[in-house]
Amino acid sequence: MTLGSPAFLLVAALLVAFGIWSLERARRVRDARDLAYSDLAFLRRTLGERDLPSALLRAVWIVGLALAGIALARPHLMLPVPIHDGAVVLCIDTSGSMASTDIVPTRALAARAAATRFIQEMASGERVAVVAFSGAASVVQPLTARHSTAIAALDTLPAPNGPTAIGDALALAGSLLGQRGPRTVVLVTDGVNNTGIDPFAAASSLGERGIKVDTVGIGTNSGSLIPGTSEAAGIDEAALRAYARASGGRFVRVENASELRGALGALGRVTSFERKSVDVSLGTAFVGALLLALAALAALGLGRVP
Amino acid sequence: MTLREALLRGRHRPRLFGGGSPTSSRGDGYEFAQLRGYVAGDDTRRIDWAATARSGVLQTRVMLEDIALVFAAICDRSRSMSLGRRRALAEAADDAIAAWFGAGSGEDRAIAILAHGPVPERARAGREGAALAREALRGEPEGAFDPNALLDIAGATLPRGAALLVVTDASAAERCDDVRLAEIARRFDGTFCLARDPWLEDFPLHGFAKLVDVESGERLLRWFGRRERDAYRRASIEREEGLLRRLRRCGWRTGILDESDGVGALAEAFGIPRGAFD
Repeated sequence: MTLGSPAFLLVAALLVAFGIWSLERARRVRDARDLAYSDLAFLRRTLGERDLPSALLRAVWIVGLALAGIALARPHLMLPVPIHDGAVVLCIDTSGSMASTDIVPTRALAARAAATRFIQEMASGERVAVVAFSGAASVVQPLTARHSTAIAALDTLPAPNGPTAIGDALALAGSLLGQRGPRTVVLVTDGVNNTGIDPFAAASSLGERGIKVDTVGIGTNSGSLIPGTSEAAGIDEAALRAYARASGGRFVRVENASELRGALGALGRVTSFERKSVDVSLGTAFVGALLLALAALAALGLGRVP
Repeated sequence: MTLREALLRGRHRPRLFGGGSPTSSRGDGYEFAQLRGYVAGDDTRRIDWAATARSGVLQTRVMLEDIALVFAAICDRSRSMSLGRRRALAEAADDAIAAWFGAGSGEDRAIAILAHGPVPERARAGREGAALAREALRGEPEGAFDPNALLDIAGATLPRGAALLVVTDASAAERCDDVRLAEIARRFDGTFCLARDPWLEDFPLHGFAKLVDVESGERLLRWFGRRERDAYRRASIEREEGLLRRLRRCGWRTGILDESDGVGALAEAFGIPRGAFD
């Protein structure tokens, strides 16, 4: 063995000497802090053999040391890691009944606001598309990971008008979604399907492809008249529930704006988890150091007051 | 009243010498008590001729009975007696021993009971003997204290009726055998000074603390909260009171040896004012 800087051997020797001196000094300080006592047997008899706080202190000390040691070995754990590669298609009803004001200010505006918030809360990397439907379905925003673009696209939603083609909307949403990753269609509607293809068949088809359809029925229970008509804006709750069930999704009925926001917050999440081997050495070292610091503080700081 | 007088008057004193106080028991001592008219049977050597000449009637000198007491002491010199809050219990014990041997007078003898036997072996009289015994106790090296063995030595070596003082702490007192204690108290005038636990009033530990047993060197880490301190205080008081009851039941006179006042333990044991020792 050769040494590039033999002079540092002197430094090493000094360090070793300092280490020995400090250990000896720590031992003396510790011994001086210990209370000399005459009869430990009496003390044990009086206070009992069990001493939970001290046992806990020892356990914390040992666990802390063990964790610090384990951290050096760079441990890896199989942990569920969130994967943000999902896609959501928001299908927003723009039929005439969405102009109803039973949800303030209107069902359409409340749905837009809730959709905006939904997109804002999406995790980075998750993709979103927006489909508007009334008598026919149209793509307002194709799938994008740029959430600000999708939010801007919500401003281009057509004004409420026309019948309700739920089946067409579901089919269009299905065509936007790819074949892999978690995929969800969130259908926000207040009406009864009255045109286009069969929504149940469309939902079943999506379900077969592994795409969930979450349905949100919007409007008060008694319904209200469609503005400019004498027709009641009712909800076919049973049908919406069936679409959701057919694809493995959920149905939620909302009667005001805050319920709508809450419902969208709970539905349509496409974050998936994958079990991956994660390096936890930093966390282990941190927890170990924390436990050691706690034990040291408890033993030194909370020690006897002479 | 002095400690010596208290010993002579004390109920604990065995009746071998006839008991009573020095003033009521008159005999062949050297200390003059009074003159009285000659009574048939009086020792003619006690006739005071000068007084007879003055009064014209035979006068007899009455002397106090001369009783030589034996002051013996057993003192715990183990490491546990080196503890104390502001002062070691051993120092208070030294004070008590000094007062004990210092109470002797005239032909009184002082004996220190040590692990290897009594010192001096042939008890000496007076101040010299007291100083010798005291120094012997002080010079005893620190080490394990076996009260039963020392009581056995005392029982085997002390003359009947000797005044025996034992100074030790509760842990050693707990080890004393009741049968031995009763036997010693039956044969001697026993006084037991029990050293008070320095931490009896307030255990000075809060939170986690490590204790080291001065006798065995064993260490113990424990948590000391309010509950533990209260439990310790109660147990310590109960132990002290229990030991005092036990010693009295065995026929010993008892006093508590506080680290601040060793002599006070003797005053308490004999029921005499503390000032009598000053």
